[in-house]
Amino acid sequence: MTFQPLSSLKGAGSPGFALPGVRMRGVVSALPERRLENGDFTGRFGEDAVRDVTRMIGVQTRYWVPPGQTTSDLCLVAGERLLERMAWARDSVDALIFVSQTPDQRLPATACVLHNRLGLAPHCQAFDVGLGCSGYVYGLWLASTLITAGCGRVLLMAGETSSLLIDHDDRGTALLFGDAGTATALERDDEAPVTTFVLGTDGGGASNLIVPAGGFRAPAEDARRTGPFNPEHLYMDGGEVFAFTLRAVPKLVADTLAHAGCAVEDVDAFVLHQANRFMLNHIAKKIGARLEQAPINIDRFGNTSSATLPLLLTTDLAERLMAAPARIALVGFGVGYSWGAALMQTSPLGCAETIYL
Amino acid sequence: MDDFISGLAEIFEVDDGDITPDFDLETHNWDSLAIVSVIALVDSCCGKLLNGRALAQCKTVSDIEALANQAEAA
Repeated sequence: MTFQPLSSLKGAGSPGFALPGVRMRGVVSALPERRLENGDFTGRFGEDAVRDVTRMIGVQTRYWVPPGQTTSDLCLVAGERLLERMAWARDSVDALIFVSQTPDQRLPATACVLHNRLGLAPHCQAFDVGLGCSGYVYGLWLASTLITAGCGRVLLMAGETSSLLIDHDDRGTALLFGDAGTATALERDDEAPVTTFVLGTDGGGASNLIVPAGGFRAPAEDARRTGPFNPEHLYMDGGEVFAFTLRAVPKLVADTLAHAGCAVEDVDAFVLHQANRFMLNHIAKKIGARLEQAPINIDRFGNTSSATLPLLLTTDLAERLMAAPARIALVGFGVGYSWGAALMQTSPLGCAETIYL
Repeated sequence: MDDFISGLAEIFEVDDGDITPDFDLETHNWDSLAIVSVIALVDSCCGKLLNGRALAQCKTVSDIEALANQAEAA
């Protein structure tokens, strides 16, 4: 097993990495039971505002957790179903990675809580990754490096309950976000072709998408910077984040394709972070992807942060991925700013399911 | 340039003829949705990326044009 950095590819922009020997076997998503229509928001924002905002962001329905339900509750449901479908013995899982910005507690790591709830073995590594929109790609990258290092099977769980972070009086975010939990099975397979990764960060954008309070920095100081917002709620500077996306994402996709040595038309599906529909349409056009190459499901689920990519795999792409091999480009970008892309050749998935609680 | 004018007219829900250099943004719902739309419009029409924060400070259409003229190529 070799680990090949692609930084030697001069002129292709950012360095990339090629990891062979890793297979995605299956994916399950779980959605909470509270389903909210746009009509549920007209009382608060008025019909005109709801129409204007949703026309741009493209969200018609989203699912929110009821009081008391957490990200790990959603991921547990997805994980149990996935283990059952994969017929994986609990003690065969060597690592559990939990990607989320809404963990159950500040400590311990929610991965440890999930490790217990899933009944995994003592030798199983378990740790959290605190990323959002880019988090699933980082999770795939970490799972792949763990497998390259010797782990046999890795469970990647990514989910978010953003409904508990948003300011419900801020129409820019209140209508946009949804909750979901997902689980992905990754396994060592010496026959698997390389997956190409490109990852990056621009921490200069940290304050444009932020929940200032709740960590360990004095909240008042941060509260002044974000103006009238409650520092315990999500603050988003939509214009700045959009400008970042236009700057970073077309280049990220171009660099990833260059490292993988393939063209836009060679890709069966661009699995793009479902940020908002207006942004997605614009990005897809800039990439040069045809409409059917870049599926959009934000209309049904909203922006579920770290869960958007697996949720696309288990909804719009489920049949396709279970039926035949595919070459997919998974592209995550946003909060951080942080971004990552993985160009992967899948063999038919053993399962790609969505559970509605 | 015609695309730019008609694009702005669409964003602010007015007629093309209403988009003059003095067109006042504040009184035409100059919110984050409009800002994001203008960033996309200038990217499509001119291949340039506007700074979101600087754009938010614009008061008139001529301010947007001035910002676009000094912006970096996308």
